[in-house]
Amino acid sequence: MKRAALLVASASMALGALACDPVHSNEVDALGGEASGVGTGPTHRPGQPCLLCHDGKIGDPPQFNVAGTVFVTPYVIAPENGAGGAIVKMTDATGASHAATTNDVGNFYVTPNEWTPAYPITVEVDYGGVTTTMKSHIGRDGSCAGCHFNPAGPSSPGPVAVGWGDGGVP
Amino acid sequence: MSARRSLLLALVFGAPFGVIAACSTPATDGRFVETVPDRATFEPVAKMLVDRCGTLDCHGTTFRNLRLYGSEGLRFEKDASPNLLPGYATTQAEIEQDYQSVVGLEPEIMSQVVSQRGAAPERLTLIRKGRGQEDHKGGSLMAVGDDRDTCLVSWLAGKTDTAACVRAAPLQNP
Repeated sequence: MKRAALLVASASMALGALACDPVHSNEVDALGGEASGVGTGPTHRPGQPCLLCHDGKIGDPPQFNVAGTVFVTPYVIAPENGAGGAIVKMTDATGASHAATTNDVGNFYVTPNEWTPAYPITVEVDYGGVTTTMKSHIGRDGSCAGCHFNPAGPSSPGPVAVGWGDGGVP
Repeated sequence: MSARRSLLLALVFGAPFGVIAACSTPATDGRFVETVPDRATFEPVAKMLVDRCGTLDCHGTTFRNLRLYGSEGLRFEKDASPNLLPGYATTQAEIEQDYQSVVGLEPEIMSQVVSQRGAAPERLTLIRKGRGQEDHKGGSLMAVGDDRDTCLVSWLAGKTDTAACVRAAPLQNP
């Protein structure tokens, strides 16, 4: 009886700690609400850091290992600028690769059942018959928007876009 | 003597020493002059570090003690011109910043390692984390004697193995 009570108390404390991570809460709050007329699902929140919520923690939405949005025109985060039908090819440190196709707003996601990469990974995107290669590699963050955000500058190359025209995505 | 009594005695007599230790400050005129590894041969080491460790989601960020500027991530020049965005060539100013970042991590231990010509480099957190001998979010990135390790350790020893550094960067996934 005593042990059961202890277990329940421990579990409650663990859940409480998970629910009370102010840093994570602030980051999620900073994303704002859903766009008008768009519910949660594969086309929501293009250009946002997917794994912030899709991280597999208790009570969160389904876990993604890699996810993001590919846009056509650089620096423009908008559903209508999404590069739908782009093929995102990822290769990990062991040489294993996986390809995901973007949906209408440019979003793509990879679940743990589909692929669990060994970092670092390299990425190239095929869109409209043109292949653009990410110039650097991904060290460990599966959210494209963890690094690719506006405004572009010293700490961000800007959102992922296929329209750079120089043969490479920064 | 009971355990409770021992604990009480330890608290009574030990607490003042703890308070003194906690409240003491370094001498205001105290200076430590670091013995630093070679700056002139750091460039290939920097390029290896930037490539292996400096992406925006790892050490290419202002949020880490080992802050690396360069082509893979954070840029030093506060200029958003296209050729200074992440992904474009590392600049000399960034290599200088990276040098300062590396030698500033653990100056006393760095001095010992450099003075002893690179002996026991694992005294440095930089080496232990890179080798995965200490908890490291980025995991184990080099093994004793591989090109990355040789690049870094040879630089600490004062005889940079440039060829190893070149082989270690850029990243080439299989």
